[in-house]
Amino acid sequence: MRALLISLILFFSTAALADENILNVYAWSGVIPDFIIQQFEKETGIKVNFSTYDSNETMYTKLRANPRAGYDIIEPSSYYIDRMRRQQMLEPLDKKQLSHYKNINSLFLKTHYDPEDKYSIPFIWGATGIAVNKSAFDPKTITRWSDLWKKIYLNQLMLLNDSREVFSVALITLGRSINETEPKQIKEAYQKLKELLPNVKLFNSDATISILIDEDATLGMAWNGDTFKASLENPHLTFIYPKDGFVIWVDTFAIPRNAPHQTNAYRFLNFMLRADVAKKIALDNNYPTANLAAQNLLPNSIKHNPIIYPSREVLKRGEFQRDMSDVALGVYEKYWEKLKMGS
Amino acid sequence: MKNDNAFKYFSLATTWIWLIIFSFVPYGLVIFASLMSHDTNHLIRLPFTLQNYVELSEPIYIKIFIKSFYIAGISTLICLILGYPFAYTLARMKSRLKGLFILLVIIPFWTSSLIRSYSMIAILKAKGIINSLLLSLGIIHEPIPMIFNNTSVIIGLVYNLLPFMILPLMTNIERLDNRLIDAARDLGANRITTFRKIILPLTMPGMIAGCILVFLPAMTLFYIPDLLGGAKSILLGNLIQNQFLITQHWPLGSATSIVLAILLAVMILIYLQSKRNKKEQDLL
Repeated sequence: MRALLISLILFFSTAALADENILNVYAWSGVIPDFIIQQFEKETGIKVNFSTYDSNETMYTKLRANPRAGYDIIEPSSYYIDRMRRQQMLEPLDKKQLSHYKNINSLFLKTHYDPEDKYSIPFIWGATGIAVNKSAFDPKTITRWSDLWKKIYLNQLMLLNDSREVFSVALITLGRSINETEPKQIKEAYQKLKELLPNVKLFNSDATISILIDEDATLGMAWNGDTFKASLENPHLTFIYPKDGFVIWVDTFAIPRNAPHQTNAYRFLNFMLRADVAKKIALDNNYPTANLAAQNLLPNSIKHNPIIYPSREVLKRGEFQRDMSDVALGVYEKYWEKLKMGS
Repeated sequence: MKNDNAFKYFSLATTWIWLIIFSFVPYGLVIFASLMSHDTNHLIRLPFTLQNYVELSEPIYIKIFIKSFYIAGISTLICLILGYPFAYTLARMKSRLKGLFILLVIIPFWTSSLIRSYSMIAILKAKGIINSLLLSLGIIHEPIPMIFNNTSVIIGLVYNLLPFMILPLMTNIERLDNRLIDAARDLGANRITTFRKIILPLTMPGMIAGCILVFLPAMTLFYIPDLLGGAKSILLGNLIQNQFLITQHWPLGSATSIVLAILLAVMILIYLQSKRNKKEQDLL
């Protein structure tokens, strides 16, 4: 019994004392390639413990449930930065330690979710638009979200499996903000979506790329980065930035409050901000980068590709998703459940 | 002798510690959370309330419960219809190949069920194996839409859960006393009567055990409706996941899990009760 106790104590104390040169990174899966982490470890001698998540909610819930989880770097999307900074879950950033900060595209600075850019470093971004397979439908006939309601698309559409994204489509069509919190307007959007339902073939957010490539759906909502990736395999695919507006998001890096290895975290942030590093990442994951210096380094075929790098004019039609209260989110979720249960 | 006792206590203690840490304590926490109020900053807060359970009586939630029971019920029925003859043949098999066949039933368990569900997509999709084959043979000219509907959900559930039906049925049928069947035949019962009056009642425990083992996971395997059904409806598994992760309403999510657990416990109790009644009848 005593031996057991001693070994237990030893086990936990080594875990607690392991405060050497390490960095705990918790990021979106599929965003940071392994070779970048290895390059960082080699250049700095810092050992990186790298773990991933596939939704903001998972990351947030984990940090909420255990504020001392020990992560030094997290990668929340814009609207989660909004929520986490208001709930004091983030460290304010000391930009003096970030010599490459100037590389960031100014389009993604001074945003409502972090007005003073105090907590977040924009890293990659994306927009939700309409993916069209040219061999099935003429992309010229689809310019706005409201076109998806046409009867000819019966049982054809793919929609993202995300309540707020789908409600945004209806809210935009009704001429409202995508950040509507009034239950009455959300209900109207729900009624509008009910009319769309016969056209819906499936909801999916994780496998959209293969669904588009394999033509299991030939029309629908998709992220520009995913559609671009799919278009490399299936050249019939194109992407439309709807005229009536669209959702735009940014994934950012942040340091959670009381992160144990903050010095290393700053070195990591500055490394990720380097143009050559951000370029390598952009070439690997094919998401549009928020790093302007890196964007300029990309080959012409990519940096002028209208799917992932549209003109500033097009981008201005985008609206950022904002955080909202749990009560408002609950209203969305209720109507989402009702929509899916067809009642 | 003393050593024997030590071993007995040790193994009992491990089981109990395991149960307490990984089953009773988590369940206790879930019950506790289901009675608390919802709070944005701290996930749960006082005061204690029954509000979460009241909320679950709303029509939309009842609809989700009914739909989950329906899908799980159909899948269980299909598993039973497919699994019974299979298990029967397997159990009665004298051949040396029997071991091999049992192995073939078990082999799919060696791969994660999530991966197997993705492979079902590869088989069923528009450019999948079945459609490509039929197209190249000239049997069809347009791919048959086989995926993203209720049928593909049920195919996926049956495929994933069929072994849970076959294995308990097989062990049950193996124990069936052949002499009873011979006796029935000698007394003039035809095949159908023998099956109905002798085999079916005697294999009932195996059928019920199989049904329970299939029905329970069928209600909560949320990724199968998501992947194969195109996420077009919400089943209990998705509901609980959304309540915890999207709306951050831990008390409501906990209450949903508890109600599900209670419903399933009631079903098992009914089964045990019917078995006990039967035993009393047998004694009479």
